[in-house]
Amino acid sequence: MKKKVLAMFLAAGMAASLVACGGSSSTGNETKAEAKTEEKTESKAEEKSGDSGDKSKIRVCVAYSGNLGDKSYNDSCNEGSQKAVADFGIELKNLEGTTPDEWKANLLSACEDGYDLVICSSSNFQEYLQEYAPEYPDVKFAIIDTTVDAANVQSISFAQNQGSFLAGAAAAMFTEKTDIDGVNGDAIIGWVGGMDIPVLHDFYVGYEQGAKYINPDIQILQAFAGTWNDPLKGKELTLAQYEQGADIVMNVASGTGSGILEAATDAGKYAIGVDLNQDNDQPGHVLTSMVKRVDTACYLTIKSVVEGTFQGGSTSYLTVADGGVSLTDFAVIKEALGDKFPQDIVDKVAELEKKIVSGEIVVENYEGFGPSAK
Amino acid sequence: MTFSKIFNASLIYSTFRTATPIIYAALCAAITQQADILNIGTEGIMLFGAFMAVAVSYLTGSWALGVLVAMLGGLCIAMVMAVSHLKFRSDICAIGMGVNMFAVAITKFLLNAWLKQSGTFADPKIIAIPKVHIKAFEKMGFLNDTFNDWTITEWFVILLVIILWFVFYKTVWGLRIRAVGRMAQAAQTAGINVNSMKYQAIAISGLVGGLAGAHLSLGYSAMFVENMTNARGFMGVAAMYFGGAHPIFTALGCLFFGFTDSIGARLQAYGVPSQLVLLMPYVATILVLAISMATKKAMENKRKSSLITAA
Repeated sequence: MKKKVLAMFLAAGMAASLVACGGSSSTGNETKAEAKTEEKTESKAEEKSGDSGDKSKIRVCVAYSGNLGDKSYNDSCNEGSQKAVADFGIELKNLEGTTPDEWKANLLSACEDGYDLVICSSSNFQEYLQEYAPEYPDVKFAIIDTTVDAANVQSISFAQNQGSFLAGAAAAMFTEKTDIDGVNGDAIIGWVGGMDIPVLHDFYVGYEQGAKYINPDIQILQAFAGTWNDPLKGKELTLAQYEQGADIVMNVASGTGSGILEAATDAGKYAIGVDLNQDNDQPGHVLTSMVKRVDTACYLTIKSVVEGTFQGGSTSYLTVADGGVSLTDFAVIKEALGDKFPQDIVDKVAELEKKIVSGEIVVENYEGFGPSAK
Repeated sequence: MTFSKIFNASLIYSTFRTATPIIYAALCAAITQQADILNIGTEGIMLFGAFMAVAVSYLTGSWALGVLVAMLGGLCIAMVMAVSHLKFRSDICAIGMGVNMFAVAITKFLLNAWLKQSGTFADPKIIAIPKVHIKAFEKMGFLNDTFNDWTITEWFVILLVIILWFVFYKTVWGLRIRAVGRMAQAAQTAGINVNSMKYQAIAISGLVGGLAGAHLSLGYSAMFVENMTNARGFMGVAAMYFGGAHPIFTALGCLFFGFTDSIGARLQAYGVPSQLVLLMPYVATILVLAISMATKKAMENKRKSSLITAA
């Protein structure tokens, strides 16, 4: 037994040394980066080249909470930065991480590596950025989905509550369409989130309000998987909600969400996608997707740095009116359901969208979110 | 009111469905444990199996081939562990952790380099393990809700638990492997080839571990996601400890995990804070391990005292 305990310690030591290796390799990068900037300044001094040469050397780092390939939030962010690579020829580095200590380490190494712009892709980074942004005044930072109050940080938030309001309204109408296969008579809809963080509550507040706007007596089942990358957990939570009478479940769970959509197909029920257009991930079982233009946010931030218009300390808030959040056009489900497709949902959603834009409907925010949030 | 929505017939299947991958993992660990080898590498074997199953099913369109290759893949990794532990005398825990890290990295690499995907790999061309649909149950409400449309591997795990119980406790081979596990020297004196028995145990464990992974990626779902095992292998090892490597008690331990998980999923929907619910399986693990250890200790003390009085 003693031997086993010893072995466990050895294994832990091995893991720790691996982390240490990771750290040292990033310092290796750092020195390389320094060498590069030196070279750059030298060549600049010799050739006295114009601004155009300078632009192509802009280095951007994006730190993710979770992995790429989630076909959702992170991929959307990556789409935006890849577009910026194509348009502006910037140098891009992606840092993926699934645990808080990885996020912190990734952010720190990005700070140390001397990037022109470091984008923190989600609110999971808020605490760390608050800590490090003042320590690296020369680095420009951007954070999506939350606000960090520092002179060199640009914060970009979305009115996910407005988009979710539309999704909630669509779900509440859909759950009444008992002529569609798999839809039961109960006015119950579901909602499955990834980690229990404030942004997701902003989603939920809007979803609930939207559903209740259509049917005040509707029941909404809520669950959190507690992770961004366990689709099997997402699937289990979704199946549990279907078994409890829900017939449509909204996915707000990044990588965990692929399991939520799969559950819809397995159970012959329905789901609502999130962040990217996920209508085609499980065709015929995804009613619509609440698209959040993280890609646009990412692209515009990089563009602002390239063009020298970056404004630290600012907060932008993208709403339904700006096209920052929206629902997809229901085209995939329309084709799958054929004659049974409830056109009135599309019309109602369009009507509600107009009302939100005009201010006739005010969608509530979760505490700490909204256009005036600081 | 909501009570019937939480405790209903579908909870039975949901418990079993959540528990099945853990049962496979726990059996994988139990086989080597009988020969006194702690298989920490269960997680890695499982993850590698999950990847191979999806890759082969995608490329060939045959789930059976996918499962087979997953089992062979598990076997290969297990043999690496066996050779380094038994031949080169490396510590089994260290090599086990190494296998876990290797599996995370190699599956990620193969997913990128071979299948040209990143993160999540879901495709209609991945053929899942079919479900067993029993026509006769259709009209019977309870049986239909509870036992219809299980995947083949979900039925098979019950069979596997019974088979392993029989092999361990009713056959000569089982007696030998337990003898090797209890006291290798005595077994050797009795003429049992200890090394060969240990190799066999690890090999079978690898096959079962690969099957665990195949069930996870082709039975429970039809996709592969980086690190999709998410510590289910470790939960299996914990359940194996709980059951003292006895297949049936081990499976019961897994079902208990599955039960707390399923109850949690249902409770969350009714406003119980998610943090509390997500904590439940772990609290349950600690409780169960504490209770099982305490009773074990009490039994040992009793045995000791009876020895003293006998003398």
